[in-house]
Amino acid sequence: MKYILEGFFQAFHLLSSGNDETYSAIWATLSCSSYSIAFSLTIGIPVGFCLGYYHFKGKNSLRTITDSLMALPTVFIGLIVYAFLTHSGPMGNFSLLFTLQGIVIGQTILALPIVISLSAAAVEGVDQKLHIMIMSLGGNRRHLFLTTLWEARHALMAGAMAAYGRVMTEVGVSMIVGGNIKWHTRTITTAIALETNKGQFGMGVALGLVLLFIAFCVNFSVSFLRRRN
Amino acid sequence: MNPPIYEIKGLKHNYDRKTILEINHLSIQKSSIIGLVGPNGSGKTTFLKLIGLIEKPTVGEIFFDGYAVEPFSDSARFLVSLLPQEPFLMKRNVYKNVSYGLKLRGNINDIKSKVEESLLTVGLAYNEYARREWYALSGGERQRVALASRLALKPKVLLLDEPTASVDSLSEQLIKDASLKAREQSGTTIIIASHDRQWLYEICDEILFFFQGKILETGQENFIYGPWKKIESGKWGKKLSDGQTLYVTEPPNQNSIAVINSFTFAQENIAGSDIEIDLKGILSRLSLERKTGQIFATILVGNLPLTLKIYPHQDRKKTCFPGKKKTIRYRLDQLKWI
Repeated sequence: MKYILEGFFQAFHLLSSGNDETYSAIWATLSCSSYSIAFSLTIGIPVGFCLGYYHFKGKNSLRTITDSLMALPTVFIGLIVYAFLTHSGPMGNFSLLFTLQGIVIGQTILALPIVISLSAAAVEGVDQKLHIMIMSLGGNRRHLFLTTLWEARHALMAGAMAAYGRVMTEVGVSMIVGGNIKWHTRTITTAIALETNKGQFGMGVALGLVLLFIAFCVNFSVSFLRRRN
Repeated sequence: MNPPIYEIKGLKHNYDRKTILEINHLSIQKSSIIGLVGPNGSGKTTFLKLIGLIEKPTVGEIFFDGYAVEPFSDSARFLVSLLPQEPFLMKRNVYKNVSYGLKLRGNINDIKSKVEESLLTVGLAYNEYARREWYALSGGERQRVALASRLALKPKVLLLDEPTASVDSLSEQLIKDASLKAREQSGTTIIIASHDRQWLYEICDEILFFFQGKILETGQENFIYGPWKKIESGKWGKKLSDGQTLYVTEPPNQNSIAVINSFTFAQENIAGSDIEIDLKGILSRLSLERKTGQIFATILVGNLPLTLKIYPHQDRKKTCFPGKKKTIRYRLDQLKWI
């Protein structure tokens, strides 16, 4: 129990004292997860809309595949992305291995099935009568897309939060693709793994609490916006 | 000569490879009021969705004001508006719901007065309702807000699918009045699907009768559903709820539908021939077809409503008023099966 309590005090100390190493990891975590969630939402929402809105042959199979990909192991994604980004891999020329950009690619792949699947479910959850209403008031395809997303905004936001939580707390991609390089690609989760290996449980707990605090702040902000809406 | 507002050619529409609507040719004139009647599943709603440019027909073409149109057609999408049976309101207040269509059109000049005017047309006071959220409305108010959002657009064609099916009598009257006002003020063509035949007969220039995905010539056939049973001495028929038997010729199968349009009032004390069958019932309703001046009587035989024309030579005053017991007669040789 002692090291857990220590963790609380250490977490407070790390944050209040402006510890550079901790803030570097926080920055790496926030920037990677924010970019990856932005990319996955940009790609995933339109794809999820099409998957949820339109009826076509093979739709059910596609839904089953995207639903299954939501459970993709992060280490597996890390391994595949590593294979692509390594010098001898197909994208080796871009020198993205052991960079934050490399982590962003892996985390985008991780978040994409979650965003697609939950967006499709959100769009399916919108009353089918909405499209009749939009079309009968003279809306075009763009109005149909935007208004459907607006009506499904709460469910979409929940999906985005679930994806954000997954990328922010993943270890596999950051460790394998990022390499856990201090001051550079070390994220909070890879730092926790390292500190635990070193036997520094207090430091590990402190970083875990920092992660929890960030997650709480993000969720609180979203809930606040939702209530205000 | 001006083209009709709608012309439909060779239309066929399928759901899951099953044809649910088939119209070879149909024209609808501008500023007319057209009623659509027919049993559930007869194709009325599909017809409205197709001419409302919500769905594209599987086969065939729809011409609007002389131009071939389909969903999202720029030439028509701002001119046609459909009010479905259960309209959808967005999760916004009444003002935003009513003004949504105007904003889509970029028609934002004096938007407040347009919203106010259309709300007033459906009997909703602007000050009381404009800021009210969608969840704080009753079923009838929701229907009226949805209608107001269409009326605000002043469409050339207003399509109403069972607009009064699930509202109270006050809302029903307000919806009816508002729909007719649209034609008076803007010359809007109105096409209404409704089970309220009385209302349709009162207001419509023409009534289209839908049955099993087709438009029939007149709306006065009686469709009588099976199952049919072989009754004594080889005759086929079906027992009605009041104990009388409705005799028919031998049906193609037990669940075929009998079409009888030869009902007349039987003359008292004059027995019919072998192929003439009498049924006793109560006159429950009289309807006037405004365009033709024709009067129709609905006779309840048991629970089965049967409709027949009242011919001019029949003394309408003496023989017809609701509640009167009447005997009606039909001929077996004029019965058709579908």
